Amino acid sequence: MPSGTLQIKAISAHSGPIPGQGVQREEDVCKYIDVTTCIGCKACEVACVEWNDMPFQQTTFDNTYQTMPATAWNYWNLIKFNEHQRDDGSLMWLMRKDQCMHCEDPGCLRACPADGAIVQYTNGIVDFQQENCIGCQYCVSGCPFDIPKFNSSTKKVYKCTLCSDRVGQGLEPACIKACPTGCLKFGTKTDMRALADARAQQLREHSGFANAGVYDPPSVGGTHVIYVLHDATKPEQYGGLPANPVIPPTYTIWKRAAKPIGLLLALLAAPVAFFHYVMEGPKEPAP
Amino acid sequence: MTNGWIDIKNTDMMLIMGGNPAENHPCGFKWPIEAKLHRNAKMIVVDPRFTRTAANADLFLQIRAGSDIAFLGGLINYAIAQNRIAHDYLVNYTNASFIVQEGFKLPEDGLYSGFDPSTQIYNKSTWNYEAGGRVSAAPVAAAGDTAKGGGGTSQADAPAPSGGAPPSAKSSQPRTGLGYAAQGPGGAKAGAGGSHPGGQAAAAGAPPSLPPNVAYDPSLQHPRCVFQLLKQQYSRYTPEMVERITGIPKDQFLKAADLFTSVRINGDMKKVSTIIYAVGWTQHTFGTQIIRTAAMLQLLLGNVGRAGGGVNALRGHSNIQGATDLAGVFDILPGYLKMPNPDDGDFATYVKRITPTASNPAEWQSYNYWSNTSKFAVSFLKAMYGDAAKKENDWAFSYLPKIDRNYAWAQIWDDMYAGRIKGLLAFGMNGVQIGPNSRKNIDALKKADWLVVGEIYPDETSEFWRAPGTSADEMKKIQTTVYRLPCAGFAEKDGTFVNSARWLQWKNVAVPPPGDARLDQDILAQIFLKVRELYQKEGGKFPDPILNVRWPYTQPDHPALAEVAREINGQALAEITDPTGQGAPSIKAGQQIPGFAWLKDDGTTLCGNWLYSGSWTEAGNQMARRGTDDPSGLGIYPNWAWSWPANRRVMYNRASCDPSGKPWDATRRQIWWNEGSGKWVGNDVPDFKVDSKPSDHMGPFIMNPEGVGRLFAPLSAFAEGPFPEHYEPIESPITNPLHPAQSNNPVVRKMKSPLDKYGEPAGGFNIVCTTYRLTEHYHYWTKNNPMNVQLVPEPFVEIPVELADDMGLKGGERIKVTSARASYVAKAMVTRRIKPMMIDGKKTYQIGIPIHWGYRGIAEDAGRTSLDSANLLSPTVIDPNAYTPEFKGFLVKLEKA
Amino acid sequence: MNGAIERFDDRARRRVGAYGRTMVRENELVRHPVYTRVLHWSVAIFFILALLSGFAIYSPWLYRALTPLFGGGPTTRLLHPWFSLGFVIFFAFQILNWLEPMTWTSDDRRWMKQVKSYVTNKEPVEPEYVDFFNGGQKLYFWAIVASAVVFLLSGFPMWFPKTFGRITVDIGYVLHDIAALVMLVGFIVHLYEGTGAQPGTFQAMTRGTVERRWAWTHHPAWYRRATGRDPRTDYEQARQRSSRPPDPTARTDLK
Repeated sequence: MPSGTLQIKAISAHSGPIPGQGVQREEDVCKYIDVTTCIGCKACEVACVEWNDMPFQQTTFDNTYQTMPATAWNYWNLIKFNEHQRDDGSLMWLMRKDQCMHCEDPGCLRACPADGAIVQYTNGIVDFQQENCIGCQYCVSGCPFDIPKFNSSTKKVYKCTLCSDRVGQGLEPACIKACPTGCLKFGTKTDMRALADARAQQLREHSGFANAGVYDPPSVGGTHVIYVLHDATKPEQYGGLPANPVIPPTYTIWKRAAKPIGLLLALLAAPVAFFHYVMEGPKEPAP
Repeated sequence: MTNGWIDIKNTDMMLIMGGNPAENHPCGFKWPIEAKLHRNAKMIVVDPRFTRTAANADLFLQIRAGSDIAFLGGLINYAIAQNRIAHDYLVNYTNASFIVQEGFKLPEDGLYSGFDPSTQIYNKSTWNYEAGGRVSAAPVAAAGDTAKGGGGTSQADAPAPSGGAPPSAKSSQPRTGLGYAAQGPGGAKAGAGGSHPGGQAAAAGAPPSLPPNVAYDPSLQHPRCVFQLLKQQYSRYTPEMVERITGIPKDQFLKAADLFTSVRINGDMKKVSTIIYAVGWTQHTFGTQIIRTAAMLQLLLGNVGRAGGGVNALRGHSNIQGATDLAGVFDILPGYLKMPNPDDGDFATYVKRITPTASNPAEWQSYNYWSNTSKFAVSFLKAMYGDAAKKENDWAFSYLPKIDRNYAWAQIWDDMYAGRIKGLLAFGMNGVQIGPNSRKNIDALKKADWLVVGEIYPDETSEFWRAPGTSADEMKKIQTTVYRLPCAGFAEKDGTFVNSARWLQWKNVAVPPPGDARLDQDILAQIFLKVRELYQKEGGKFPDPILNVRWPYTQPDHPALAEVAREINGQALAEITDPTGQGAPSIKAGQQIPGFAWLKDDGTTLCGNWLYSGSWTEAGNQMARRGTDDPSGLGIYPNWAWSWPANRRVMYNRASCDPSGKPWDATRRQIWWNEGSGKWVGNDVPDFKVDSKPSDHMGPFIMNPEGVGRLFAPLSAFAEGPFPEHYEPIESPITNPLHPAQSNNPVVRKMKSPLDKYGEPAGGFNIVCTTYRLTEHYHYWTKNNPMNVQLVPEPFVEIPVELADDMGLKGGERIKVTSARASYVAKAMVTRRIKPMMIDGKKTYQIGIPIHWGYRGIAEDAGRTSLDSANLLSPTVIDPNAYTPEFKGFLVKLEKA
Repeated sequence: MNGAIERFDDRARRRVGAYGRTMVRENELVRHPVYTRVLHWSVAIFFILALLSGFAIYSPWLYRALTPLFGGGPTTRLLHPWFSLGFVIFFAFQILNWLEPMTWTSDDRRWMKQVKSYVTNKEPVEPEYVDFFNGGQKLYFWAIVASAVVFLLSGFPMWFPKTFGRITVDIGYVLHDIAALVMLVGFIVHLYEGTGAQPGTFQAMTRGTVERRWAWTHHPAWYRRATGRDPRTDYEQARQRSSRPPDPTARTDLK
């Protein structure tokens, strides 16, 4: 398992170099989730709440086994249950562990205007630093997976840290530790991807799932959480996993290019005014 | 479990039925998944609901609750018809070739031979083998062509346990053999002190016994041989009949049957299939027989005793196996010794009654390990009464209570309701919640004089007086004195858990008990010491059993569980030498004995439970071992904790080899015959007489007097028949299509109290209801824990979409479920995971209710949930063999609330 | 204009006026009464706070420089919508206050056509039709009005993203930025025009008065209305008075 310190790779809204970058190199970490062997036991949910010491909240019955409709600021790991009727009339009960995907190209980090509120470590973990968070919630709209959640009393946004505190000490994330069936695994991206590909192949060849595949969407540069799905062509049926997750152009073209250019253009008004004064002078009351 | 949790990874095929391991045994469920991942094993799940287990299955079939025998019988029929059976295994390791007496009748009309309608008890004398020898293989003739002869001398003398690997035990059929098994709830009618209507007592004269030499036909052609009878019995369980009874469409059933029996195509023995079940099978009025059907199917396919095979009961609590092993039921003593009854005038009579004699073909051998019963019994009495148990006083046999009637769970509450039981000590359970017909249990407690509840939370039992529906006036009239004793939780005690795989795992204390909470054993010890003190001071009718109890603990009022565990393992009371004569060092007085082979019936050993002998030896606490080496790669882990019997991980493992002693599958070698050393050796501890040559033809099922697996269970093994027959649940939407005149289990009796009411379709009760647990909760405890309450906040009723549409009901709306006994209100979970079924041509709905809620808990106390208990609905009617109530498959009606 | 609004606006004007005064010296005209000035500077203060706090979040380059002004990132983010709300509220009063003088007329169109001449200071005085506000001022005013509306409409979704949803927020984010840039440009120009570009103008918003010659120079039509005199005549007379001897500081067009 990859271990060692958490080396920062990218920092939100940070101008200038990243401290210590290039000093050491680490392999990417990855969480492997085999949806086809998940039993929806929620041990990962409990482990997450307990390790991160999050306060309980009152839930209500909602005609489902799912604990709550979506992840919350104090509930970062949620199994989404979906009763899926197949074309032949048979039923599938799909259970997908929903949490931060730790995108290689994180929309949240791109969106964030606060220096240091979101960091990406070289091992791929995207982590929120609440002390730097300004509560603007741009990350909320920047995320294609609806993961960052705002706490209106602390005015901060929270999400799964991939247990960066544990991983930094050479441990696996709490959810992985708790998983009883081994449908959750943790390791390097290369290893997990290979494992996932092999499992998908097994599903295609031995279990009759012709469309089985791995969810590791390239539109966000790949993710550090990958899924093995029975039907990778229809990720939406797994509790709304986007088929083609994209970071809104607001945070790509607009934020990266248009905004600074626009600002420079706007600020050009000042030298223009100045040179107007220099060249044309003031318009004094006449005479 | 015949096998173990980890062993499931070795399987090629799983039938999971009557259990929901993904939800109720999530940690153990990793092994079925391992089998899927690493062996491409297939998983068939049969359940009334599409469960989280079903979500992982390769094939799911929705079955009507309570029709399991029909399905399994259909599988037997299919396997025989398609010749997908293990022929050599069947002939050599089962009683398939044994010939059954003339006069035995199969239940075409729902009844076996010998039924007495007036007592609802069978005279089982015809349920026996025919005495004789080998029948020539040229039969095909008419019945009665038994061609006795063959002869040979009886080899049924039981050799002493042998070798450093003391042999074995038993598992899934704890109460086979003679004795109390036939007891139905009707025992209550006999009243206290009356005669004890055991199955055998009803038959006139001396109880029949098994013949020492059994007639048999290895060609399996004799019309009265067990195999032919079996074939005849289940030929009625056609796919069409299975569809009528279970609601599983014929094509789906055939798909499942084909898949499950595919391990035995052309009789090839390489592959193995396992059957996994839990209380979904036991909680019926024919629960034991469902399990038997599964066992027979596994014998038929040659899957018992093999890695990745077996019949595997998943125990529903961390230590249910331990409770069972140490006399969890009224009619057994620790180690499945049978309880004495009033007819057992002395110890010799008792031992003679409960010790089976070998019964096998003359050319074969039977180890008949229960022939050692007297050693286990004497050692047990020595552990109980110490020096007071002497040969001269019959080992203090007179101190043991004698059971005169049924004292099963349901009976206790019935007795209390009738005013016969005046007080109750309730530890480690929530009585009014876990039993059926909670209203009756609540009302029973109102009539008691006192109730002591040892618990970690205030529970429904200790607060029965505030059950919903109890008026203020009524509350004032309740005179029961309730003592609530705060107890230690599981993390606050040391000791052992015995898991489903029969592993005794020692655990340490994590935290001390909070506040005034005390350890359960301290509370019991302190009560005992007080009672003993009273007897010492005041005497009494029969003080001896109390005054003479052996109580050797360093702190008598705080018995260390380590000391108790050492006592259970057993100790030498005098120097004893290696019983096998193989030169192991002798054991001195006071030392721990190495295993049950060393137990003696001369008073020189004591042992609390012979099955656990070997768990704490002179080498130390074997249960605390944590060795993670697994040389065979079969997941045996011989140095992890300790498994009864004799640290054996897969029972009956002799059957993993062919008759010549070679493993059926060389890639999964458990044990094998080593010609050089003349011994059985291997990766696991042989469950066999280690020096018995394959040519001796000793049967691998050494706990049966026949030495072989029982397809036909003779005499009093079971209350309702030697072969399982499909009977309808007591409350059923249809009459039995096999024999409408005998719809229910004939030996099951309904309770008679005013609160024991039973519903019928004619009364409007036509929806099948089943009850179960959820992953997110642990029985009635976790409603006191915020995390669990967050996961599933309130009770609900799962109902099919189609039924909800019929009722105009939406998910989340309140629904009222009414049985003949009570009503239950909760929110509806409208789901596609339960579908309407066609049962015997009638459209039938099933619904399901998780059981976890009551009237005490976080949400309950805050007034956020319904306060009803699911078991208000269930009927008090019990399995005649194991006395388990029928929580699954009773009838209800629904309305919007 | 609606009569009710007019009464409300007048009442506000009177009430605020009662607490302040405008000192008018010789040769001065009252340009902005107390109420207008209070409003203007209230708007200005909130505008600048919103501008600085907004641009702190606008771009990483400004974040580190600007957030300390407001006690760090979180408080910056917390205060920004409230600053903006303050701006919007005061500016709403300003709109009511100035609705009439800011009304766009055909004269403004004419003015816009000769804006080049205005920028290059071709003529010493503005065309005669330029009233209380010239076309440029009106343009700025209405640009601010438009921007404020865009700010408001896009700012609320950004303030309460859960209520409005991701798409709305994303669009709002872009619109908010565009509005900010437009305002920034306008603000810089306004600042320059109100100070260096036109001496005497700043005083109009501080003391509230302007010199008569300022008035006939920049807003001849207003001068006519306010004094009843002809701005051109007064200008010519003043020029003749001051052109003997010629003003040595007079501008010499080098072009």
